Amino acid sequence: MTNVADVAPVPTQKQRRTRTSIRSLITQTEIDLRLFGMLVALGLILLTFQILSGGKFFQPTNMFTMAVQATGVAIIATGMVLVIVSRNIDLSVGSLVGIIAMTYALLMTDWMPHILGMGPDFPFRWVIALGIGVLLGAAIGALQGFIIAYVGVPSFIVTLGGLLSIRGAVWYLSSGAAVSGLDPNFQLIGGGAQGSIGGTLTWIAGVIGCIAVVGLLVMGRRQRRRFGFPLRPMWAEVLLSVVGSGAILGLAAFANANYWPEGLAARYAAENNVAVPPGGLLISTGFPHPIMLLIGVTLVMSFIATRRRFGRYVYAFGGNPDAASLAGINTRWIVLKTYVLMGILCALAAAIAAARLNGATLDVGQSYELYVIAAAVVGGTSFSGGIGTIPGAVVGAFVMQSLAYGLSFMGVNSPGQNVVAGVVLILAVGFDTFNRRRGS
Amino acid sequence: MTVAVRTPIVEMRGITVAFGGVHAVRDVSIDLYAGEVIGLVGGNGAGKSTLMRVLSGAHPADSGEIRIDGKPVSIRNPRDAKAINIETIYQTLALADNLDAPGNMFLGREKTTRLGSLDDSAMESETRKIMGRLNPNFTRFSMPVRSLSGGQRQAVAIARAVYFNARILIMDEPTAALGPAETAQVRNLVRQLKDEGIGIFLISHDIHDVFDLSDRVSVMYHGQIVDTVIKNDVTPDEILGMIILGRKPDELTEKDKAEIELRG
Amino acid sequence: MSIRKSVAFLGIAAVMFAACNGSAATTAPSTGASASAGGAGCVVGVSWNNFQQPRWAAHDEPNLKKTVQAGGGSYISADANLVAEQQLTDIDTLISKGAKVLVVLAQDGKAILPALKKAADAGIPVIAYDRLIEDPSVLYLTFDNVLVGKAEADAIIKKVPKGNYVLITGDPGDANASTFLPAGWDQAGLAAKVASGDIVLLNGPKGTATDAWKTEKAQSNMEAIIDKAVADGKKIDAILAENDSTALGVVGALTSKSYGYPPLSGQDGDPANLNNVAQGKQYVDVFKNANELGKAAGAAALALCAGTKMADLKLPDGLLDPTVAPTAGLSAQDFKTPGGTTVKSFILQPTPLTADTLQTAIDAGQISKADLCKGVDAAKAPPACK
Repeated sequence: MTNVADVAPVPTQKQRRTRTSIRSLITQTEIDLRLFGMLVALGLILLTFQILSGGKFFQPTNMFTMAVQATGVAIIATGMVLVIVSRNIDLSVGSLVGIIAMTYALLMTDWMPHILGMGPDFPFRWVIALGIGVLLGAAIGALQGFIIAYVGVPSFIVTLGGLLSIRGAVWYLSSGAAVSGLDPNFQLIGGGAQGSIGGTLTWIAGVIGCIAVVGLLVMGRRQRRRFGFPLRPMWAEVLLSVVGSGAILGLAAFANANYWPEGLAARYAAENNVAVPPGGLLISTGFPHPIMLLIGVTLVMSFIATRRRFGRYVYAFGGNPDAASLAGINTRWIVLKTYVLMGILCALAAAIAAARLNGATLDVGQSYELYVIAAAVVGGTSFSGGIGTIPGAVVGAFVMQSLAYGLSFMGVNSPGQNVVAGVVLILAVGFDTFNRRRGS
Repeated sequence: MTVAVRTPIVEMRGITVAFGGVHAVRDVSIDLYAGEVIGLVGGNGAGKSTLMRVLSGAHPADSGEIRIDGKPVSIRNPRDAKAINIETIYQTLALADNLDAPGNMFLGREKTTRLGSLDDSAMESETRKIMGRLNPNFTRFSMPVRSLSGGQRQAVAIARAVYFNARILIMDEPTAALGPAETAQVRNLVRQLKDEGIGIFLISHDIHDVFDLSDRVSVMYHGQIVDTVIKNDVTPDEILGMIILGRKPDELTEKDKAEIELRG
Repeated sequence: MSIRKSVAFLGIAAVMFAACNGSAATTAPSTGASASAGGAGCVVGVSWNNFQQPRWAAHDEPNLKKTVQAGGGSYISADANLVAEQQLTDIDTLISKGAKVLVVLAQDGKAILPALKKAADAGIPVIAYDRLIEDPSVLYLTFDNVLVGKAEADAIIKKVPKGNYVLITGDPGDANASTFLPAGWDQAGLAAKVASGDIVLLNGPKGTATDAWKTEKAQSNMEAIIDKAVADGKKIDAILAENDSTALGVVGALTSKSYGYPPLSGQDGDPANLNNVAQGKQYVDVFKNANELGKAAGAAALALCAGTKMADLKLPDGLLDPTVAPTAGLSAQDFKTPGGTTVKSFILQPTPLTADTLQTAIDAGQISKADLCKGVDAAKAPPACK
């Protein structure tokens, strides 16, 4: 609620209209300037790689590979925002992802068939596995959160201990070996041609998105009118509707321009007696499942952060812990809950990682904590507490992954990727700090 | 005054608070009547703020009893205090700088929709109404309070205390950070609330504030109450004497009086 | 301080215990015929760096122990739990327990040197097991890492003599990844074929490195390589991955991109990768048969016990599987270390496993048949799964 720019009261609107700088026009649409700036930066990065690669980079296949690679980190980053906003840190996320991914793998290869009596044909095995993973994540998160909030051990220490000990536990769980061979349905969580929602559903999702955007704008306007608040100028409302809907439909079209790989399409055609037209059979993949999961998580987390008491209290606590407790907020319970949330998000990210690998290795999730914190911070989350947005962190994750993927695409090796990632992290935060100082 | 026959709205009896081995408040008893302003004065560390933190639920008492309208109550946290309409304006204002004015106004007591989501529009609307009364020039309803002036921030803190039908109001140094015009505004507000029948504890360093607004004055010294006096019965110099020396005026020696003269 | 005292106390206790133990050993009837001369009464002390790693307990130790005991010797051991200092204490203890020869899997090749000096003073020969110790007095027993690379590339190049190759290497800071394995690839003819144009490298002359050999990193790198190849209109014909954890990531990328499975190499014989070999997702998995290394160490220890000089050491005929036995023959050979010293050595050969030879992995106890054949399509099952 704090990142929405102030609106000039109605009477002064006329005087303001004479000043038509782009900044003031953007201000009138109440767009989050910081997020807008980051999207522009992301666009510039993609454009740079497009030029460097001679026009081969910006294609649906490549963009969705990159996006899917970013989902795990992005999902956890939405929770890391709340943790950092409430003046804590969570270093254990990578190990948490590791242990939950290993749990999924062992559940489906060993425990379910051999201990729980759920053979490969048992219905909804993947849902049960996912449920167990989420519970495990929530339980570990609750334990860490309890030690931080109620025992009072600093979060840096507790989660550093978690980072070490949970990674060690992964080793014991699997006796030191990689485990592979997941449920075929579970594998679809990881994306790929068959792990996507397909062309038709993608269009439907796009249309639902447009209706939601327009609906929210209309409802918002009605609400503001009902209470007699200053309204956005009509042109801004229309512009937002058109741009929002256009972006969503454009994204859907872009996803549907991503087709099944030739080999897979040919096999599908042969198996289903479909005639292959000249130029090959084109089957749209649409949005990959992990992207849909990320969109869902982003919406839910944004809702929690801005529209629920819990989110409001997290921000209040981060802004002024004393004020929050004097306002009668049970601040310990709030902190504990942020870690439970973190555990659940790690379980979702672990599902994507395990599904993508069709199993789990000892090092799944290793150094996620660094990427996740980097994503949150590049996305505008401040270590001084109280400041940070969920969409910002998601875009931050995309910025970092676009660099890693783009450099990989251009054949730059890991050391080079790490150098660039580190420099960009410092530049992004430095720029942000500079802007904030100038702004205040 | 018909004080004698009424039941006090607040009775604090034998309140003791210790930090480690140090007694910040020692066996203090104090009463407050509806529509009355008690000025609570004393030097730094005299225990005024700690005593009030007990009443507002920010810090539990080690022993003692609190009665509201004659009935014993247990105040373990700020939520308990607010539930019995005890509101506090802290010296630090206790605002979350990153939230906007409605967010702070309703912090911990948010208005929600039927589905339990925050009803920001309703909260903003209420905030606009009350601010229209307290500070008509206030327009920055969706800016983080960090970006507001000292007076505006104070207005938010006061609005929060007033909005929720306070019956007992604790004001800790409400004018310390304000300019002359804003101070006058706060004084007017205190008189207005008093007329509405609210009981007010006013902690202040400013003897003039206290004399201007209070009905009675309680002087604290080293964790204890030296005396509670009716304002019209004493002079500012006598109050000053109690603050500095911790003794009632009639117990003063000639030497003490000389010292007050010197310091005053 | 108190820790040191208690360690010293334990040391004394260990000596007393060893004394009783030693007398018991001499009076006990020697079991079995001695395979090597003069094995009787030989105490072989083994210092593991980290016995929790399953390989040592499952493969190396049982074979080492069996060989020593079959030769009439006795086996004692200690585990340093990944702590270099602990290993120094361990070796002291082993010496005071009466070890006549030491087998050391060093946690740190340099930190171990003081212990070597003590052993030398006591006249105890040391076998550097699997990991090199930079000291001219040791006998070095290991697998040839260059040969691992050669075996990988041999198998792949034989299968795909011409075409577009992708190279996936390991951690850029690991000498195995940057030096030994690529050297093996070139010995198998990779460099020559690249020079002649038969093989085109799609991702640069040095390939793509993988931080910390991480599977997830290898996967995301490979996805980008596939995307680039598709964008360039090129087909990937074969992939040389240096080890199994990176190969697993490559398979993940191939699966998520539905690319199909071009011939792919790996090494370590990890169960998940052997399963991929059985499923046709990985072509070759080069595997170091640790059982044989254990046997070789046992035999060498017994011979050293009997007073054989390192230069004259010869492993018994028929002890080792011929495909694993050192290419240079059964006599100890000179080995020039990266640090410039020369040590005596036995360098064993790795075993390439393809779908046709997977039975070897089951026989070596590396994987159970059930795990190997999990999810294998019966119609395309390799011989080991039938």
